[in-house]
Amino acid sequence: MTADDLGILWLTVRVAALATVLILPFGVACGWLLARWRGPGRILVETVLSLPLVLPPTAVGLLLLEALRRNGPVGRILDRAGVEVLFTARAVVLACAVMSLPFLVRFARTAFEEVDPRLLVMARTLGDSPAAAFRRVALPLAWRGILAGTLLAFSRALGEFGATILVAGNIPGRTQTLALAIFQRTHIGQDAGAMRLVGLTVALAFAAVLATEALTRRRARRVET
Amino acid sequence: MRLELLASFLAVFAIRGPMPVTSAPPATAILVFSAASLTESLQELGAAYEKESGTKVVFSFGASSDLEREIEAGAPADVFFSADTAKMDALEKAGLVGKGDRKDFLSNLLVVVVPDGSTAKIASAKDLAAMPKIALADPASVPAGVYAKKWLTAAGVWDEVSPKVIPTLDVRAALAAVAGGDVPAGVVYATDAAVGKGTRVAMTVTDGPPILYSLAALPGSKNRSAAEAFVAFLGGPEARAVFTRRGFRVVSEAP
Repeated sequence: MTADDLGILWLTVRVAALATVLILPFGVACGWLLARWRGPGRILVETVLSLPLVLPPTAVGLLLLEALRRNGPVGRILDRAGVEVLFTARAVVLACAVMSLPFLVRFARTAFEEVDPRLLVMARTLGDSPAAAFRRVALPLAWRGILAGTLLAFSRALGEFGATILVAGNIPGRTQTLALAIFQRTHIGQDAGAMRLVGLTVALAFAAVLATEALTRRRARRVET
Repeated sequence: MRLELLASFLAVFAIRGPMPVTSAPPATAILVFSAASLTESLQELGAAYEKESGTKVVFSFGASSDLEREIEAGAPADVFFSADTAKMDALEKAGLVGKGDRKDFLSNLLVVVVPDGSTAKIASAKDLAAMPKIALADPASVPAGVYAKKWLTAAGVWDEVSPKVIPTLDVRAALAAVAGGDVPAGVVYATDAAVGKGTRVAMTVTDGPPILYSLAALPGSKNRSAAEAFVAFLGGPEARAVFTRRGFRVVSEAP
């Protein structure tokens, strides 16, 4: 294990964690709306939010790149504001956030759907505002599913590659995450160095998935009883 | 309770240490995008320059074609060192490099490499064309592959070679493919073969196209003066000695 390896690990964990924290409020809100809202556009919104799950990550990356590039629609605004995104760590966070959002939304939606709507109605009749009912009834009942979704989103962010390499390049010390470093070391023939990083990713993924599993198992048991 | 634990767990990752996302790199750090073939030379020179000037030099090595596209898209590179002049021309056309910013002074040679244990005898482009698979940096865009294609086209064997090409992301990936023994031959720069393990040079290409690298401090750089100072250093006598020792040829006196 070299200092470089640890630096890459640290960068990876930080960008994945930041991406997860950034999507948390939006993802939970989307999950809540999709669980409660029965309007006609629901399927459409759900499909759009799930697209990053099924699109090739490089396709998502290219869409982001075109939007953010120097003369792109968003890039021009960012340029004027003096905010650099492309090929910086911010771009890694952005790619990770977009790619892992669907996991959080899906888990949060399922968790909210398991909350008995009568409980919410009851809370309202007892004088809770909709926001208070959400905070005091829905969230406490759904938090385990949301947490599982958060962990899964975090795990997805840890391994993000296709979208990241297009919007953030592969710059050691700045945008090079574990997935990108494994790719670079392999293609220049440093297989041993790449294997060390694979070991790190296996350990990380193992911990994250194990935690997700433990949470979902306990939830399943509780639903059965 | 557990939710709070998770929140604090995430918060630790989010706020501990200098976040790369929120803190701009210190003013004395420059980002150099460079052709993969210059890896060892520039790492050596970058370390020497850091000691001498205190400016931190960060490199991103890759195919010049990829790096050029990234710069065009808005990558915050301060210096670009391309393995050909075409990529620098493209940046000049896009208004991202000025004519006066460029230094085109480094040259190289192509060689044919085979795996260490290989008994293949390759003495000409025709012999190479007889190999079942040939590793080249992607001849559609990457300079090393473009040079190799020019050579093989001029030798009249490109049509024969083209279906056998294993295109790689950059020249070092072509070298690694041959070193791994998966591909029986490849074309790389003489300087790559000199640092690579697991390959031997079967022939040196003497009738290839002229190879010319191009170096520039990018005018859009936020650290323009630091970038220009490093470019001047790379054109100086100490750097020229390193390039020459590693097998590059200095073809014109850098201004």
